[in-house]
Amino acid sequence: MAQKLQISHLGKSFGELRALQDINLAVERGEFIAVVGPSGCGKTTFLRIVAGLEPASAGEVRLDGRAISGPGGDRGFVFQTDNLLPWRTVFANAIIGREVAGQVGPAERQRTLELLRLVGLEGFENYHPRQLSGGMRQRVNLARALAIDPQILLMDEPFSSLDAQTREIMQTELMRIWEAGRKTVLFVTHQIDEAVFLADRVLVFARRPGRLRESVAVELPRPRTLAIKRTAEFIRYVDHIWRLIEDDVRASVIEEKV
Amino acid sequence: MQRAAEPRPRPAIGLPRIYVAGAISVLCGLMLWEIASRLVVANALFLAAPSQIFAAIVTLAESGELWRHMSISAVEFALGYAIASLLGVVIGFAMAESPTMKRVLQPWISGLYATPTIALAPLFILWLGIGIWSKVLVVIFLVLFPVTINTEAGLRTTSERLIEMLRSFGASPRQIFFKVSLPSAVPFILAGLKLGIGRGLIGVVVAELFGSRAGLGRLIAQSADSFNMPDLFAGVIVLAAAGITLTAGFGWLENRLVPWTKD
Repeated sequence: MAQKLQISHLGKSFGELRALQDINLAVERGEFIAVVGPSGCGKTTFLRIVAGLEPASAGEVRLDGRAISGPGGDRGFVFQTDNLLPWRTVFANAIIGREVAGQVGPAERQRTLELLRLVGLEGFENYHPRQLSGGMRQRVNLARALAIDPQILLMDEPFSSLDAQTREIMQTELMRIWEAGRKTVLFVTHQIDEAVFLADRVLVFARRPGRLRESVAVELPRPRTLAIKRTAEFIRYVDHIWRLIEDDVRASVIEEKV
Repeated sequence: MQRAAEPRPRPAIGLPRIYVAGAISVLCGLMLWEIASRLVVANALFLAAPSQIFAAIVTLAESGELWRHMSISAVEFALGYAIASLLGVVIGFAMAESPTMKRVLQPWISGLYATPTIALAPLFILWLGIGIWSKVLVVIFLVLFPVTINTEAGLRTTSERLIEMLRSFGASPRQIFFKVSLPSAVPFILAGLKLGIGRGLIGVVVAELFGSRAGLGRLIAQSADSFNMPDLFAGVIVLAAAGITLTAGFGWLENRLVPWTKD
């Protein structure tokens, strides 16, 4: 099977600080990859390098065989904060990626409307962001990334600012949307249960320097519902991943207190 | 699948009450003023009653005097304000876009903004004569700086997160400017323009006090010289009304152009 994303010997330093060291990864088409790790393990930096928002210090990232050197329309980024333009309507926000690429024909407009319906925002196309709840704004954030029909979807803790119930709803919504299109996804989160619930594979990062500790294949059947979170198998995965990062998390908590 | 857009919910409740309270407050103030000037001061050389001022306004309006003064002041204000707004936005853009421009212009802008340039009005009259252009120059000096400073600040403080969002789609610097920086600077630019209204009106009148043939400032100066308190206050009230109307009009414009900054 064709490899969608290939990352070899990727490294990143900020001055003296080594944020990422020797990351190697191959992602297959349609795979859902979650990245977890303690704060300071470089997981967000990793995602930003793949997005082209940050240059790598070493190694390379190849998407469909081509080395990436900057941001581009082949990758859709879903931000932690929704980053919607407050003066634009939901529809105008969702189509902005197409607008940047100079493609706002009837087909793209139709596709954007369909995506807004897919994420559950039908009827809200002409609303402004300030009229929406946090969960709805994140749906626009997702639709905006999907609207450019990217080769890969990069998601940076997109549900972390939502309350616990809304987050669970959004997780099942994301599963439903993903099943509809089966995009390749890189999903960064600090929530282990979220990672296990969503992903085919969970990459566990360690800190100082940020590196890939273990890649955990999640062999839970799909489609998954929230009920799966209460099964023994699910809990075994969560426990296993938690044990991998526990010491690191404790270290980072102590550091943050100091 | 297009559903009709639901009307945007607008906070209508509470607004009339604000107007009622304001109106009552103004009416009470006028009544106190009337009583004070008739019973307490009781000397037409020191204070005019609101009723006398109103009568003076009517008389001035009927004789055509009021329009003559108002139109001259209005032209001076409009010319100065328009030139200053345009220049201010352009200079603000230049400073936000080019660090060199900013370094070159910043000391001048900061210095002149803090200086009471209105004190230079006699000098301007000396240079440009007693006609409208000396007043236009005073207005330009007073309006230019708040507009420049706000435009520059508005463009500079564009949210990094919004810029990054657009950059993730591969947007060019030009696209980032027009799709993010410029729209997010509009509320700042409008605030600067709003600040300019009051400063500009004061500039017109004070410059006219220093020397002019006509204008509301001239009317006020003339009336003061002849101890005609009702005419003096008539000039002041007309100015105040102009200030209130222009500022309110601006508030309406802001609601239309940048609704996301409200609530």
